[in-house]
Amino acid sequence: MLNHAHDVPKAPERVVVIGAGGFVGGAIGVEAARAGIPVRGLTRKDVDLLAVDGAERLKLELRPTDAVVFVSAIAPAKNSNQLLANLRMAETALRAFAEVTPAHLLYISSDAVYADDVHPVTERSALAPSTPHGMMHAARELMFKTDCPCPFAALRPTLIYGAGDPHSGYGPNRFRRQGANGEPITLFGEGEEQRDHVAVEDVARLAVRILSHRSAGALNAVTGVATSFGDIARLVAANFEPKAEVRPLPRTQPRPHLLHRFFDITECHKAFPDFHFEPLAAGLARVHREAAATAGAQEPMRRSA
Amino acid sequence: MSALPKLAYVGMTHLGLCSAISAASKGFAMLGFDLDPALVEAISTGKLPVNEPELDDLLRGNRERIAFGADAKRLIECDVIYVAPDVPTDDMGQSDLGMLERLLDLAIENARDDATVVVLSQVPPGFTRARQRPGRPVYYQVETLVFGRAVERATRPERFIVGCPGDPAEPLPAAMQTYLEAFGCPILPMRLESAELAKISINCCLVASVTVANTLSELCERIGADWSEIVPALKLDARIGPRSYLAPGLGIAGGNLERDLATVIRFSEAHGTDADVIRAFVGNSHHRKDWPLRVIHAEILAYLPEARLGVLGLAYKENTHSVKNSPSLAFIRHLKPWPIRVYDPVVPASAAPHPSVTGATTALEAAEGVDALAIMTPWPEFRSIAPQELAGVMRGRLVLDPYRVLDAKAARAAGLDHRTLGVA
Repeated sequence: MLNHAHDVPKAPERVVVIGAGGFVGGAIGVEAARAGIPVRGLTRKDVDLLAVDGAERLKLELRPTDAVVFVSAIAPAKNSNQLLANLRMAETALRAFAEVTPAHLLYISSDAVYADDVHPVTERSALAPSTPHGMMHAARELMFKTDCPCPFAALRPTLIYGAGDPHSGYGPNRFRRQGANGEPITLFGEGEEQRDHVAVEDVARLAVRILSHRSAGALNAVTGVATSFGDIARLVAANFEPKAEVRPLPRTQPRPHLLHRFFDITECHKAFPDFHFEPLAAGLARVHREAAATAGAQEPMRRSA
Repeated sequence: MSALPKLAYVGMTHLGLCSAISAASKGFAMLGFDLDPALVEAISTGKLPVNEPELDDLLRGNRERIAFGADAKRLIECDVIYVAPDVPTDDMGQSDLGMLERLLDLAIENARDDATVVVLSQVPPGFTRARQRPGRPVYYQVETLVFGRAVERATRPERFIVGCPGDPAEPLPAAMQTYLEAFGCPILPMRLESAELAKISINCCLVASVTVANTLSELCERIGADWSEIVPALKLDARIGPRSYLAPGLGIAGGNLERDLATVIRFSEAHGTDADVIRAFVGNSHHRKDWPLRVIHAEILAYLPEARLGVLGLAYKENTHSVKNSPSLAFIRHLKPWPIRVYDPVVPASAAPHPSVTGATTALEAAEGVDALAIMTPWPEFRSIAPQELAGVMRGRLVLDPYRVLDAKAARAAGLDHRTLGVA
């Protein structure tokens, strides 16, 4: 649940994005700039949060009137070392915030903070992560909430897709790349698992709204619509001409016990009544067009609708 | 006793007022006492602060037996004094017992030594035992007021549940016994703590039924079943019963049920018992209350930014002016970007928490030109709305009708996109 300090949106004087070089951080910077907000994007080249001088260098970048978006992470955190490294990054940021406290802090978290067996997931659901990645986000939320003396919000996106996603994990981005390479789009089994997927642009739009309202609390960045990987593959395949092949493959491992994951997005309706998510089919088609337009030689779109 | 005892009800809010007038209808002389002289004056002239079917007529018909007053010294005339103010609750379901405490002290101070003092307001277990004084036993009696059915419940109770400060096997005070017997229903004396928890137990059972209905009706909406077809089968099961609370709704409202759930959770935390199921009731209530918000966003607001909306009903249920925890107000509160027109037979449009709300004088007027209409309170007069007329005045087709006020077939025949609870 979010509480707005500003009922009427009021742009922050400046937004500092820590982790601006990443897929999500970059999108938030672009969206904030589009909203007319001055943006200072920090990448690891500017401030290395694992370096000895990380806090000192970050402090020099901050002003007390800044709204800070913290999105920097070693993600996904797959083991204890990565979990602890991520926590050290948050600790470094908190040392800088102790010296120069920003006006507002937004942390880009994850829906991995919730237990796998909660249905439907809401912002009221208990935080019970089952992976190092989920534990990392839950712990960072707690660290920021406890130690940063300014209004704090956590935005918890589910699976994100977008043209600029550098990862090629199982889902829309990999499917699109397989299709673009002229390969069959491959599914684990029939792709029965249903998941919520959100466009990175929608995550960025929500982030900018949170910054403009100086909101505190937590909000899930989820569309409320769960779609099977099989259906997503067929949607992606249909964007190619001729339509890409979707090929189910025998599972080499047991099907995940978590077959479905549904979210209730009522809190989003309450926080931002006039905000609506881009429907998945429209988003996948848009991403396909954007990727086709910009990929060029780096990502050949040999067959594009 | 040779003559009928004289009674007093202390606290002229919903419970006390309805109980006092109903008691007078059984032939008992009655004093209705309140600390607020202006309220007493208004009631004396027939201006009742609550809206309940039959209540005004019942007062007029028994006016000669009822006196209203703000002078506590008159309590000395009474044989049985019921202390019965409404107990307000906050957003967390916590009771504010301040006024009850004050009125109880006043009643005890002004009662004759041989009079019986009874707490009728809803209290947490342990309250009445803690108010016993030497030589002044205080009884507790369970109230079963239902908003919109207060007169029916007060004049034709199913039973009386009486908490006794001493041995429940001992006879009740004669005046109290005479009064209760006039209603011709079973009287169940028990320990004070049992009676206090009995009231909470009744409400928990009702909430359990409603939660079952809400949980399974939501499933019906997803799998092609119709909860209204299932309900008759359940009601014919003797273990469930024909009057069981199986109508799906928009969560729990009104304040009283929420208070009892909060009390059970608080007591279970204090005593180390398991109350997870009660927390689940609360969670399901929150979830179902947001049904109209989810539907209207998914079906229209996501696609029509300039939508015009209409809402019929503001009260938390039919036949009451109360808007405490009203699903309608909760719905309207989150529709601020869109202009809305509202109509309620009793509650004024100004009660709607919305920056650009317009009041209408009829249901059809509220529906004129809207893209979506939500019937948020099942007022009887809404049942007479002809779907064809509704379709004629609306700009759009979407009608949210959680309580099935309209005939679904007729609504569909009129071309309306009729959405209700419990069916796809």
